[in-house]
Amino acid sequence: MSNLLTKLIPRSVVVVLLGLTIAAVAAFAAVSHLVARFNANQQSRGRKLYEQGLNDMNAGNPGRAVEEFRAALTCDRANPQYQLNLGRALRDTGRLDEAESYLVTLWQRTPEDGTINLALARVAARRGSLDDSIRYYHNAIYGVWASNANVNRRTSQVELIEFLLHKNARPQARAELVALAASLPPDPELHLETAQLLAKAQDYPSALSEYEKAVMLDRGNPVALAGAGEVAYRAGRYRSAERYLQSAVSADPQDSESRRLLESATLVLQADPFVRHISDAERNRRISAAFERAGERLTTCVQQKGIDLNAPANTDVSSPSSALVTLESRWLAMKRNLPKLRSPGETDLPDAIMDIVFQIEQQAANDCGEPQGLDQALLLISRNREAVDQ
Amino acid sequence: MSDPAATSSQAMPPLRVRGPRRLFNAFEEVFDEERYFLILSVFIGIFSGLAVVCFRLAIDWTHLALLGPLPQTHTWRLFVVPSVAGLVIGALVLHIFPAIRGSGVNQTKAALYIFNGYIPFRTAIGKFLCCALAIGAGHSLGPEDPSLQIGASFASALGRQLHLSREKLRLMAPVGAAAGLAAAFNAPISAVLFVIEEVIGRWSAGILGSVVLSAVASVVIERWFLGSEPLFRIPVTTFKRPSELIAYAVLGIVGGVAAVIFAKAIGFLRPRLKALARWTQYFQPALAGLLIGLIAYFGAPQVMGAGYDFMDQAMHGQYVWQMLATLALLKIVATTLSFVSGTPGGMFAPTLFIGAMLGGAVGGIEHIFFPHLTGSTGTYVLVGMGVLFAGFLRAPMTSVFMVLEVSGNYEIILPVIIANTFAYVVSRSLQPTPIFDLLTRQDGLVLPSLEEEREETILRVEDAMLPAPDIILSAADYIDAAARRVEDSTQSIFLVRLEPSGWATVQRDLLQRLLHEGKGEHNLGSLIPPQPLPSLFPDLPLDNALRFINNHPIIPVVNRANRRKLEGVISSQSVFAKYGAPRKQD
Repeated sequence: MSNLLTKLIPRSVVVVLLGLTIAAVAAFAAVSHLVARFNANQQSRGRKLYEQGLNDMNAGNPGRAVEEFRAALTCDRANPQYQLNLGRALRDTGRLDEAESYLVTLWQRTPEDGTINLALARVAARRGSLDDSIRYYHNAIYGVWASNANVNRRTSQVELIEFLLHKNARPQARAELVALAASLPPDPELHLETAQLLAKAQDYPSALSEYEKAVMLDRGNPVALAGAGEVAYRAGRYRSAERYLQSAVSADPQDSESRRLLESATLVLQADPFVRHISDAERNRRISAAFERAGERLTTCVQQKGIDLNAPANTDVSSPSSALVTLESRWLAMKRNLPKLRSPGETDLPDAIMDIVFQIEQQAANDCGEPQGLDQALLLISRNREAVDQ
Repeated sequence: MSDPAATSSQAMPPLRVRGPRRLFNAFEEVFDEERYFLILSVFIGIFSGLAVVCFRLAIDWTHLALLGPLPQTHTWRLFVVPSVAGLVIGALVLHIFPAIRGSGVNQTKAALYIFNGYIPFRTAIGKFLCCALAIGAGHSLGPEDPSLQIGASFASALGRQLHLSREKLRLMAPVGAAAGLAAAFNAPISAVLFVIEEVIGRWSAGILGSVVLSAVASVVIERWFLGSEPLFRIPVTTFKRPSELIAYAVLGIVGGVAAVIFAKAIGFLRPRLKALARWTQYFQPALAGLLIGLIAYFGAPQVMGAGYDFMDQAMHGQYVWQMLATLALLKIVATTLSFVSGTPGGMFAPTLFIGAMLGGAVGGIEHIFFPHLTGSTGTYVLVGMGVLFAGFLRAPMTSVFMVLEVSGNYEIILPVIIANTFAYVVSRSLQPTPIFDLLTRQDGLVLPSLEEEREETILRVEDAMLPAPDIILSAADYIDAAARRVEDSTQSIFLVRLEPSGWATVQRDLLQRLLHEGKGEHNLGSLIPPQPLPSLFPDLPLDNALRFINNHPIIPVVNRANRRKLEGVISSQSVFAKYGAPRKQD
């Protein structure tokens, strides 16, 4: 055999190299064919396992899905879809290191891919890592999506905002919300969702603006009306709040929260001496009523705290009893000036009276709990006034 | 009137005949044996790469067909499949492929040092079939060693058919081995280093070039077909504080001890099982398969096969340290069983597996006591892989480069070097004979132990050097002056410093004769024999002197920075005295 081969294989270098080249090409072709068949077989097996894994994921069994995706990957190691879903399944089972490792491998190949960045952002969010989450969410928002790019980008942005709100990162959430609101198409649902997020971020004026857009696009929408009323109420815009809440209650009479807010807003509007377009007499009446109400609230609170007003004064001015006693004496002193309210020369008196009223309501709220009815209205006016002053 | 075109075409035929022939001859002349060997190395790489791709497919296919794609516990397949495969392998090894038992590394070394580069091609076929069956059926062995031997066998067969010189034929097997290993590991640098470090044992431009070319060619082929995905998904590895090197040193010590336990278990059991009656050898692989299957059945299917997927999972923190330690221990048991039973397969992958699990376990324990350690479990797993490689296979350089090549992360180089060094030193001190040498000696072969050779203290020229003689003549000296200078000396031969450089010797008798002949007014340089004397440097191996001492009674030993500066001389007596042998009288 060896001799035969020796005879067959000539010793000329050129011929040998040529022969080896031909043999190499032939072997390459044969192995290519073999590998292609093997890969086709493996891919088919991998697809089956992948589909089983997807079914298990949808059925809420990510642990089983991990095994199936892993097995699918042994059949088709480079398949990004398998890797992505294995990463997701691992994330859902809480194996975040492994999930991240699979996803980072994919990310290194296509760092601009929105799907991969979103999956990585979710892993980072589950870890609670603010910087990584923001980075990957931004990559997803501004990344490339194979389909439904706008919807996916918006979904990613909403997820980011919810994550930021969850982490109490309100300024960053508001910044994202501003960007989100600016890019919304005229869809009442989207405006509604954005408004709700803005409300969560305590950006009530912007939330009101988004609710108003939603209301404009879908006039009878009770959720939008109630939301608009609530954020207007929280923003201290009681006139608008009253209007929206009235509409909300009309649209949905079962909405007790809107009804409660409506009553409170109406009371504020009726009790506020600083509103425009009321006569001096009405203003004075409101101031007097507020003053009397504050006195009653103070008396109730003092009794509730068991404070003896005739006892020697407490030297600790920061103690609640001392503050209430001081306010009692100031209220009594001011009561003597109340008749002067009608005098045209006493221009500072209304503010001075209301100042005592607000201090009493705030101190009583601190010491004796949140008030109801007119007291609550006065407290809201006080807070609104503070906000305006600031 | 003649047509110029016709004239031209009539002139062409002789050129058409001569041109290709001349080109052919010129082409032939370009290829001296060195160049020819380099080109052949590329072909060896290509063919080895293709063979390894087929081998990998065969393992995967066998695994899927016999054990299924999903890892399962508590199924009868787990112990029936490796047992039945063991029976088949036992029969094949005993009757058809008896040469495939044992380590491919040693067989390649044996081909290089004993059999003039000869490895039967049947060995490659046997390794391919039996290893694919064994590994695919779940025996705890790896595909790297068989790949190495498949490459070496192919290269050896090719070299024989091409009638290469004996020197080149010997080198064919290591070149093929590098190609096979590179394709199996997808790591060309580690493969080249391993073959240089463990098989060939010496560096030269020719060898290195061939080994590198074949390794690169095979890796290109392997990546072409199987993709460039690394063996593992490498986790984020960090090394922040130098003080953490202590933690890695501890890992090195533990790894060194584990490597010794592993090596001693194999060294103890293998000759005993081999010495049992021949009929038992039919059943030894089957029994090993049954035991491994039972380990898998009762909850540790990770020990089956090469285990790369599980190393990957360990790297990503899927196992707690208790599980990692258990897997390391069980893998030592499973691999020992597989290997000593005579089941063909490699120990590279199991070594990496044990190291990985041990690294993760040690890292986990260290994190309990020192929670501030920044190295992740993945980092310890990665470093652990190199640790056992260094301690068990005793290839320190390869172990470092392998971890770097596999991880692609140079940040962990310091932990890897520290841990591997400790593992190597501990292993060497507890088990002086490396595993490959141990196996060779058990097989009754005497192959050079490259580790021992590395550690051998070699004799140097300076060890045999005598002080410089008092009298050193110059080529510019006159004969009569030179004769006067040597008059009172007891020496019979004197060194002459030539101009502008070089040395020669002159004998007292010659000087006297020239003086008597009335040539006292001549320069010494003009009359002494023109052949200059070879010189040596003090740091050269003393073996170098052996080439010259028969022809020259004394040889100058000169300074490397200034070759005219004499450091001393060596004579045949001083050289042989150093070797401890009396010189034979001619």
